[in-house]
Amino acid sequence: MIAARGLMRRFGSRVVVDDVSLDVGRSEIVALLGPNGAGKTTTLRMLAGLIAPTRGTVAIDGVQLTRATGALLRSRIGFLTEAPGLWDRLTVRENLRVYAGLYGLANHGPVIDRALDLFELADRASTRAAELSKGMRQKVALARALLHEPRILLLDEPTSGLDPEITRSVRALLDERRAAGCSILVSTHNLDEAERLADRVAVLHGRLLALDSPASLRQRLRTGRVIVRLAGDPAAHVDLARRFDPGASMDGDTIVLHLSNAERETPALISLLAADNAPIVEVRQEVPLLEDVYLHLLGDR
Amino acid sequence: MQRIRALVGKELLDLARNRTALVPVVLVTILTLAMAFFIAIAVPSMTGHALSEDTELLKLSRLIGAHETLSEDGQIELFFFQQFLMLFLVIPVTGAMALASHSVVGEKQARTLEPLLATPITTLELLVAKVLGALLPTLVISLTGLALYFAGIALFGESGVLRAMASARTAALVLLVAPAAALVSLQSAIVISSRVNDPRTAQQFGVMIIIPLSALLIAQFMGTVWLSAKALVLIGLGLVGAWMLLTLLSVAIFDRESILTRWR
Repeated sequence: MIAARGLMRRFGSRVVVDDVSLDVGRSEIVALLGPNGAGKTTTLRMLAGLIAPTRGTVAIDGVQLTRATGALLRSRIGFLTEAPGLWDRLTVRENLRVYAGLYGLANHGPVIDRALDLFELADRASTRAAELSKGMRQKVALARALLHEPRILLLDEPTSGLDPEITRSVRALLDERRAAGCSILVSTHNLDEAERLADRVAVLHGRLLALDSPASLRQRLRTGRVIVRLAGDPAAHVDLARRFDPGASMDGDTIVLHLSNAERETPALISLLAADNAPIVEVRQEVPLLEDVYLHLLGDR
Repeated sequence: MQRIRALVGKELLDLARNRTALVPVVLVTILTLAMAFFIAIAVPSMTGHALSEDTELLKLSRLIGAHETLSEDGQIELFFFQQFLMLFLVIPVTGAMALASHSVVGEKQARTLEPLLATPITTLELLVAKVLGALLPTLVISLTGLALYFAGIALFGESGVLRAMASARTAALVLLVAPAAALVSLQSAIVISSRVNDPRTAQQFGVMIIIPLSALLIAQFMGTVWLSAKALVLIGLGLVGAWMLLTLLSVAIFDRESILTRWR
């Protein structure tokens, strides 16, 4: 489990990360969203013990991250850096073998074989890293981050530049790691990915603007806009809708209205329209996209 | 220890795939070898003038101590071979400096340093592995060259010169001074490499090691300084101490944060 409290990081006079507190529990994926320069990579580096916070604390599995505990805690973390950072002249297997040694894995042959199989890299094991495509390099970097089966995963844009097929396999793998009890923090620009993958989303722009489940975040931006589509001219029924919202309007075969409490008023509206024999085809409440919430949060700054 | 072994293994593998990086070290070794035999054996043979005809040279050669069993030519050859031995053992290190200078800043540039620093490797382990990664191939080349050097002396030198070379002074040079000087030089290069952002800057700083070496060698050839076995042992021990201090210094000033955040 990851616990960050009041993290602040200053570079010279510039504060890059300010007062960030977040927890990532066991079997949880938290997506870290934010524009370029929002402090995502800096936050991940602080959590990985690569750079020290100017203020605040980080604890991994209850152990405070300090200079003295850094090496121990780094052995529990799998960190995927922004760039894959493979040694180009070494083969895929050799790259993994060096890291197996660095993580102190005994009898690392079977461990490496397993990682190669997991990422479908077995047929590229003897290929030099320089000859790999961007997607393949990213897969090797992921295999490297997971080689020592860490309980904590810090992943900086794991699917950046990957094709949809590989992206899907990476997401499946993260699902599987979550099910295995890992605490996973993923930095991403991909809002769709955050929505599909994460249990909670942290929106960062120097400060933590929001930290909640994607559904709860979307809930924050609900407008109460309800759209009723009818099989026919809605003009005969719009007056009923205006009992709920005097501003209700028609748009083609739909009636559009805003309800102050959509959850409570929508059933009553439908009952009334049905009693009036309105040919209802569809009733839906407009739900904002995570992207809308994200842009709204950033726009508030 | 396992982490040092893993990283040294990577350094050697990387070098094995990039053998041209070792060409300067090999060339310097061959040139130094050739130079010694050219001056001590080939020049007298080509000119038809024995070395002992030069009385100044004969006087200079006696600085290293009287070897009554050797002929006058043998004494001068011994003097030359002893002088070149030092050059021969130390100069290849300048080639290895290029490897060491590149070691940290090269990782920075290739963006391989961050994942490496994210492992449990300590700064001391990282720096020791980097030094060993440059030192081991250099030592192999130097020792191969040394074997050729002694084989050449046995083949072309005056009778008794090889036996006279097998001295405490030679042992001190080969077993202590040369590896210690290499460690100091390479550790300095690693310090520089971890403080700069460009391999070219690191190499240019590294070249500065040639200055004290040249001064020492010139002084030796001029007869100003003659380092006895005892003096060499003291210098060797001093260099080992300097290396230890330098290692501590390099650990203290190795700033992971700066390296990661100021590398673009």
